[in-house]
Order: sequence, then C-alpha cells, then structure tokens
Amino acid sequence: MSLVAEAFVSQIAGKVPFIHVGNQVVSELGPIVQFVKAKGHSLSDGLDEVQKAEMKAYMELVNNMLLTAELYLQWCDEATVGEITHARYGSPYPWPLNHILAYQKQWEIKRKMKAIGWGNKTLDQVLEDVDQCCQALSQRLGTQPYFFNKQPTELDALVFGHLYTILTTQLTNDELSEKVKNYSNLLAFCRRIEQHYFEERGKGRLS
Amino acid sequence: MRLGGPPRSPRSGPSPEGPRSSPGHVHFGKSPQGQPRRARDPSPRPAAPPGLRGSARPRRRDSPRRAWPAALPLGGGRLWMGRRPPSPEARGPAPRRPAASPAQKSRASPGSPGPQPGAARGAAGGGPAQGRADAYREVLPGQRAGKMAAPMELFCWSGGWGLPSVDLDSLAVLTYARFTGAPLKVHKITNPWRSPSGTLPALRTSHGEVISVSHKIITHLRKEKYNADYDLSARQGADTLAFMSLLEEKLLPVLIHTFWIDAKNYVEVTRKWYAEAMPFPLNFFLPGRMQRQYMERLQLLCGGHRPENEEELEKELYQEARECLTLLSQRLGSQKFFFGDAPASLDAFVFSHLALLLQAKLPSGKLQAHLRGLHNLCAYCTHILSLYFPWDGAEAPPPRQAPAGPETEEEPYGRRNQILSVLAGLAAMVGYALLSGIVSIQRATPARAPGTQALGLAEEDEEE
Repeated sequence: MSLVAEAFVSQIAGKVPFIHVGNQVVSELGPIVQFVKAKGHSLSDGLDEVQKAEMKAYMELVNNMLLTAELYLQWCDEATVGEITHARYGSPYPWPLNHILAYQKQWEIKRKMKAIGWGNKTLDQVLEDVDQCCQALSQRLGTQPYFFNKQPTELDALVFGHLYTILTTQLTNDELSEKVKNYSNLLAFCRRIEQHYFEERGKGRLS
Repeated sequence: MRLGGPPRSPRSGPSPEGPRSSPGHVHFGKSPQGQPRRARDPSPRPAAPPGLRGSARPRRRDSPRRAWPAALPLGGGRLWMGRRPPSPEARGPAPRRPAASPAQKSRASPGSPGPQPGAARGAAGGGPAQGRADAYREVLPGQRAGKMAAPMELFCWSGGWGLPSVDLDSLAVLTYARFTGAPLKVHKITNPWRSPSGTLPALRTSHGEVISVSHKIITHLRKEKYNADYDLSARQGADTLAFMSLLEEKLLPVLIHTFWIDAKNYVEVTRKWYAEAMPFPLNFFLPGRMQRQYMERLQLLCGGHRPENEEELEKELYQEARECLTLLSQRLGSQKFFFGDAPASLDAFVFSHLALLLQAKLPSGKLQAHLRGLHNLCAYCTHILSLYFPWDGAEAPPPRQAPAGPETEEEPYGRRNQILSVLAGLAAMVGYALLSGIVSIQRATPARAPGTQALGLAEEDEEE
C-alpha cells in the first residue's frame, strides 16, 4: 500500500501502524518506539535531558495540532467529507452500513473536536493553526538537517510522516499543503528523508 | 532626559519605578474619567523587591515603541502628559493600531496638545515615576484612551487553597494578566451564571464582546499589546507552542482526573469547595454537572487510547503525567522562568497547572507527591505566587476565614436560632390548637376512672 493510503488509514482505523514481531503485535507509534527501544535501538540516546524534553514537547505539538487539523479536514470540512472521506471510509462495507458507519465516525470526531475546543473553529482558523505549527517546526529546524542536528530522532520520523502525507495527498482543496509548502526548510527536510530512506520507492513524489 | 531612560532599555532591569508602574497607575493620566480599573490595588507591590519587579517587567513592545525614544526628548517632563490626549480624540477602536502609531508620533511632536487636569494631577503625584511608567507602558496613548472608555473586565472563579483562583483556566488568565500588567477589572465570582458568557473565565473586552476560552482571552490580551512573549526569539516561541501542547496532552487529563474523577479528592476537596462557594440553589446541582462535563471531556480526550480497563488507563495517564512533570523540571533547570528572567505566557500556563496541583490539599495525591519531589518546580511556583500574588496567597485564607469566622461565630447563634424557631413554631401550633379547640388539655390526671373523665369533659366544656 502506498505510504499515503497507509497514513490515512492509520488515522481512520486508529490502530495502524503496527508491527508484527514473532508473537507480538505492537501498534501505534509510541508503543512501537518503546518496543524498539527495549530491543536496544533508540534514536534519542544521544540527546541530553533538556533536548529530550523538547523532543517530547514537539512530538506532542505535532500530535496536538497537525493530527487534529488533519482529522478536522477529513471529517469536519463538508467539502472533503462529502467527496472523499465518506466514500473512502465506507468503502469496505456493503450498502447501508457504509453510510451509517461513516456518519457515526463523523459524529464521534465532531464530539471530540468540541471537547478539545476545536468545534467552533472555521477552516481558516484551523489552517492558521497549522501554519503556526509549521512555523514553530520550521523555526526549530532552522538550517539543520534534522531536528536535533545530525541524527534523526523520533521527532523527525513523526514530522516526516505527517508532512509527507499532507504534501502528497490530493484533497479537494490544497490549502493545507500550500501552508506547508510555504516553509522551504520543511520541504527540503521531507525531500531529504525521502531520498535517504525511501529511495527504492520510486523517486520524487515530492516534486 | 529622564523619560528617555527606561524605554531605551528593553528589559529595564532594576527599574526602581517597577513597583509603581502597576495597572492602577497607568490610568493616573486618565483620572478625569475616573479610575474604574483600580481592581488590583498596587499597594502591596512596593513590598516586592524592586529589582525583581523590575526584572519581571511586562514586556509589551512594538514597533511604534522604537519611535518613542526619538519622540521623547521633546517636551521633557510634560511630554507624557501631552501624550495622554483626551479620550474622544483617541477613540476609534478599529483603526487604532495601525493608525495610532503615526497619530501617536504626530501627537508626540507638538508635545502638549493640552495638559489634562488629570495629567497635572498625575504630574503632581510622582510625575517622573508616572512618566516613566507611562512611557514604559509603551502602549500607544490612543489605544489606552480608547480603552479607558470601557475597561476590560475579567470574570473568574474566586480563590481558594491559597491560590487566587481555583480553576485552571481562570488561574492561567489571571497569571498572564499579572505578568503583563494588563489593566483588568477582575470580578472574582462563584456563580458561573453571573458571568456574561455563562462560563468562567470570561473576558468582557472594551467593545463589549465576550470571550470565554482562555487561549482566546490571552490572544486578545496579546492583540491589545499586553504581550508577555514579545521578547522571545522565534525558537522560543516555537518551544512555547510545543510545551503548551505537552501540557495539554499529558498533564491536563490527569489534573482533571485528580480533581474531578478521583472519588476521594472530588468529594473531600473539589465538591466541597464548590458547594460551599456557590450560592444557594446552584450548589446542589452545579458541582455534579461540572463533574459530568469534565468526565465526558476526559473520556473524549483519552478516547483514542482506551486500553482494557480503567485501572490500566489511570496508571498510564499518571505515568505519562509524571514523565511530563519531570520533563518540565528538566527544561526549567535552575532558571527563574522558562525563558530567562522574565515570565512569558508559557510560564502562566505551567504555573496554573502546577500551582493547583501543589497547593490543594488532596487526600489522594499521587501526582502531588511526585511534584513535591521536583524541587525546582515547587520553588518556581512559590516564587511566582509570592511575586505576583503576594496578598492573594495571604488573602485567600483571611477572606475565607473572615467569612468563615463570622460564620463559625454565627454558627452557635445559628443553631440557637434554629432551635428557637422550631420551638416557636411548635408553640404557635400548640397554642392555635388549644385555642381553636382542636386539642384540649385534660388538667385532670389521665386516670381512666369515668368520674375523672366526666370531670375532664366538664372542664372541656368549661374551657370552650
């Protein structure tokens, strides 16, 4: 499955990504990182404590803002919902179930948005928040190759995942990806990681 | 030029005028219009060490500010008076900000469009200090004048447990306002229905609109040039966003759980406070309703990560919260505030979260114990409390005790009154019954001999 579809499915299903090791199935980013760490590989060992604190904080920022914005765009923006999300979410199911489940999921997400205070936000405000978040990430990245200088860390993986998805998914309006494209260092960051680590997938999804 | 001094140094370190430049004094120049904003009386301020106050100066800087040092040399001591034009000139909320800066500059040049009587009074009452305070205020006179018409009012939960407010959002907004010296008229109330928006905290701006989400209130204050984050670098601004997200995701759910879901804490601390504080009919159902709302919010917040059972979820949440606290402690290190020597909005939020956790006397406070072990965070909280809420920390017990004092004194009276009123009621009932013959007293001893019975009846007839 393409990276894009995986990423979106992960947000829909909630339990992807997962890794299957021997008898164990570990799902979602946090537990996977812990699992790998327990096996002796950790990306953030070289960081000092202040940096670890910052890394955790930035990961929360990404989760808080980017993830929520993506959810909002998928489920609370009528245009996107009507054209893309409903169809895609309901596609595995037969006829009335696809509509019912899609509406149910939408209602659930809207409730959640309300609980965290995003219920009354307009699309513009959400885009502004995304912009702020990208600005923060961009400023933190600066001119370094990765967020914590030479070595990639979990934060880099998380940011790459989100930004890449945003940049390469076709939605009804492209404003979200436009917001990200405003920050050239973030674009360069994504491109660099794509080239380094995903070369065999075919070149240049990020044009 | 005296006045030229402080504004030129962005962080006017130990400005001896620090304690004086408090919200109440800002409007000295505006005294013709009254001083509606004497909400926070700055009298205890001088108690705080001037150096510290100076270092904790509000930082509201803006580009027009840079123009001030150039304009200031004109007119000297009276310049600041001249800069306080009568409000009708400066009214005009919408184009205020962009227009005010050239307007301000032009106002600055003549030097004195007309000394105001209030300004004169201001000059009399410690002119240089006020001048420095006003000049340091940096806020364009036009804006202040426009706002003087209707000061911003903040409605928030009142204080308890040694804090100026018991509610997280209210505390954050109050702290931010204190950091920046924003002139707010603070209404500490215990009845959310009396607030303009029905929830607390709520800010009524000078245009009459009501904002009730704490982030939006702070954004509004920032827009009104009360910006505690002005001096932060871009990277620090980014860090602010990141740490606030961390707080919201990791610490807030646990705080909600600790205060509202954990049975012991809820019954003995939270509900008790709210039930005692709220006025009569509300205290029966409102705390319960608030609890249900918080529970729902918590469920939605953690909805995505629902492991098998409650215990697991709780453990996980608390684990993450402990981690979050440790991270905050590591980030703070040994600094006074998160970004150096002057507080920023992040400090307001962190303080509000930590102070609640630290100060409330929780019967089951696992997280509290962990927090107490992080000494730099505890010192940080007490530092901010003593610096920005020096009388609130002391005020909270006395006013609580002062009403509690007469209350406990009234208590015996209250009891006595209750007993008396019950007796009076009984007496009235019995008296009425006797008088109207519903009940009659048989004076004869109730020996069941018919003779005496007849006597009793005879007496009854006699009575009637």
